[in-house]
Amino acid sequence: MAEHFRGELPRFLRILAAPAGFLPLGPALTMAVRRFARRKPAVFDRLGEYGKCSFLIEPSDLDVSFLMVPDGVRAEVKCLRRRASQTADVTVRGPLLVLLGLLDGTFDGDALFFNRAISVSGRTDALVALRNSIEDAELTPADFVGATGSLGKLVDRSVIGGLGLARRFTGSPIPGEPS
Amino acid sequence: MSLELVCPAGTPSALRAAVEAGAHSVYCGFRDETNARNFPGLNFSPDELVEGVRFAHAHGTKVLVAINTFAKAGAMDAWKAALANAEKAGADAVILADLAVLDHAATHHPNLRLHLSVQAAAATPEAIAFYADTFGVKRIVMPRVLSVEEIAKLNAAINVETEAFVFGGLCPMTEGRCSLSSYATGKSPNLTGVCSPPEHVAYTEDKNGTATRLNGFTIDRFGAGEQAGYPTLCKGRFVAGGKTFYLFEDPVSLNAASLIAALAKAGVTALKIEGRQRGKGYVAEVVRTFRAAVEAIDAGGTEVEVGRLLSGLVEGGRQTSGAYKKTWR
Ligand code: SF4
Repeated sequence: MAEHFRGELPRFLRILAAPAGFLPLGPALTMAVRRFARRKPAVFDRLGEYGKCSFLIEPSDLDVSFLMVPDGVRAEVKCLRRRASQTADVTVRGPLLVLLGLLDGTFDGDALFFNRAISVSGRTDALVALRNSIEDAELTPADFVGATGSLGKLVDRSVIGGLGLARRFTGSPIPGEPS
Repeated sequence: MSLELVCPAGTPSALRAAVEAGAHSVYCGFRDETNARNFPGLNFSPDELVEGVRFAHAHGTKVLVAINTFAKAGAMDAWKAALANAEKAGADAVILADLAVLDHAATHHPNLRLHLSVQAAAATPEAIAFYADTFGVKRIVMPRVLSVEEIAKLNAAINVETEAFVFGGLCPMTEGRCSLSSYATGKSPNLTGVCSPPEHVAYTEDKNGTATRLNGFTIDRFGAGEQAGYPTLCKGRFVAGGKTFYLFEDPVSLNAASLIAALAKAGVTALKIEGRQRGKGYVAEVVRTFRAAVEAIDAGGTEVEVGRLLSGLVEGGRQTSGAYKKTWR
């Protein structure tokens, strides 16, 4: 069933993002998660046995999806062309900017679910564990690119500012306000 | 004295968010069956609690540790360890429900301040006097079944502090006495610390919308765009008398912000925000809004429009003042 979510990227941006499907995003994201696991192992302790589960993350406004097994330093992320029929323990679907907001704690997962801004299927326990572990991780954009110090602060400021603007532009839900 | 705002912290980062947003106290629990929010990936290790207490105290915020499930007969070690770890971390109080845990705390940790959890469902002067006289309990978290008038009468008849829920998810049964989750899944909030455990919850989509299943029982079905609620049986839709409707309770969140002044007048010491399972975005937003509401009322000002400010965060997209203004079906 095709679902449309508030806050999806406008068409011209989707076209700009299309080549992402051909870039080696998977290996880059795998390295980023592993690097993060080395820096903050407590996040993966919190995730426990659920680290071995597979999570399919489907931005509803892009033609790519991400299959992630967040198993600490053995983590694996694959970037898939959307139509590839892929099974996973958990599937989460929603607009890219909303999914990114879940990662950095801008959005509350329960509120997004109540408002139907995201949809979920599969093992709810694994998703709850991942959500709570990410919540506690206080992830910032710099964590993903491995930037620290003043470069890290610069990355965070630019990306968070850019995402905020993009959310206003696309009409993403604003924390605390009804969608 | 101003009302104390008691705020939820499911993780260390939510604790920091609550403290920074202006919580007077935060409450949290250990990562096991000793607390009533035993969800995967949630809660504190003993070391994280030490660090959390240090952070909170450095900002002038108190930490209350919920050890509020009912201990298993002959297997109390987890509850004993939780009490010892809470005291070691420097917790300002522990929130307990079970008689055996209360007795152990009163006997072996006489310096720990004891609060009675909502799970104990103490709602009469006689029950409260028993807990106060027997174990030295200093504060009662009141079950969410009393009206403001009943709370005022209760406060006049007891000599311990009372804490009232003002915002968040509603467990509509007399607390600690619901068997719906146990019936469907074999696990209950009172014993294992979780209602509708997520490993038993499944969402499936088809052309009619999304169905919520709890251990195989379909408990709700909602169409695209229709607001959703928590997957608990009390908020499921069932067919009764030929009609399909929310039989026990609508999926709504409690919001008693408009009653803060009335609760203060009724002698309440502390206001509690529910939501240890919620993210730090929710915690920061709700705490900040309620702190402003409490301060506005303290200063004799007008009410802050809490309902409008927080409407995007609530279950089912709707809010209720619950039993505080009683209008039962
Ligand atoms: S089913 Fe509802 S009333 Fe019963 S314990 Fe769960 S939340 Fe509370």
